[in-house]
Amino acid sequence: MRRFLDWRGHQWIGLLARLYLGGVFLFACWHKIVHPDSFAVDVATYQILPLPLVNLFAITLPWVELGAGLMLVLGFRARSGALLTSGMMVMFIVALIIALAKGLDMSCGCFASQGSEEDPISYRTVLRDLCWLALSVYILFLDRRPIGLDALLERRSA
Amino acid sequence: MTARIIVDAWMAAMTCCALGLMFNAVRPKGLPIVATEAYEIFVPCPEPLGEVEGLNALDQRITEDRVLIIDARDKDEFSAWHLPSAQNIPFDYLEGVPEATVRKVASSGALRVVVYGDGQDPDSGRELARELAGRGVRNVFFVLGGAPALRGGAKGTSEEGR
Repeated sequence: MRRFLDWRGHQWIGLLARLYLGGVFLFACWHKIVHPDSFAVDVATYQILPLPLVNLFAITLPWVELGAGLMLVLGFRARSGALLTSGMMVMFIVALIIALAKGLDMSCGCFASQGSEEDPISYRTVLRDLCWLALSVYILFLDRRPIGLDALLERRSA
Repeated sequence: MTARIIVDAWMAAMTCCALGLMFNAVRPKGLPIVATEAYEIFVPCPEPLGEVEGLNALDQRITEDRVLIIDARDKDEFSAWHLPSAQNIPFDYLEGVPEATVRKVASSGALRVVVYGDGQDPDSGRELARELAGRGVRNVFFVLGGAPALRGGAKGTSEEGR
């Protein structure tokens, strides 16, 4: 087990996973930051959060996505970034399952706001999010010495 | 190490939230932090529509025993012509079929339920059949082309249908 955890290949697999996942989060946050009003409608459509919290959530979540995406891509506190993405993925998956259980015919609102006909939620969306959750968990637990800013700073200070 | 990861994640999340709130405060069309009016959201209600098979107007299964035939057209059209033994359940696109009617159809004891409608696009017969199937009635079929196709075939005339 110890040998598996210390395997150096995790660094490189982790780097690829971080670049991919970080890219996904950076791409996802862009439209939401530019158009928080559309994102607020998407959040409200899930009918999970009480109305007073919808805007606060729509304003802040895209910035957390931005932060987590940057942390993963740059390798700055990458495992903390992975913890954030894991938390967000769990939240998205639960929201999707609730929406599917309610039978809501809607777009997931994960990226740009789209109509339900263009990007309808389905169990495929849940599966996709589960894959991203798996990547986040991989980075969190197995990418123990992430390549990136942290490693660079550590080498300089040593 | 674990605690540090959690603390860093917490700090990063809080910093990002603060940045988001600041950005929202300075942008020209920032959102109010607390929404006061409910958003107008349009989420189509799930319609309990089932899958149904279309039968040709000359299909023998329409005239077999223990088949419940339903005419989905309105009362005037029904009284003008209908298949012998057909029951009239006018289909309304806006209002669903009453629960009592669905229960009555489901408990009819028929082996097969065949619905025909106006034969137009969309066909009221097909829509009613899908609604019945979606609400638990089994072995529901609809007649392709609806009443015009049946009248064009040898299934009945206005005289024998009345």
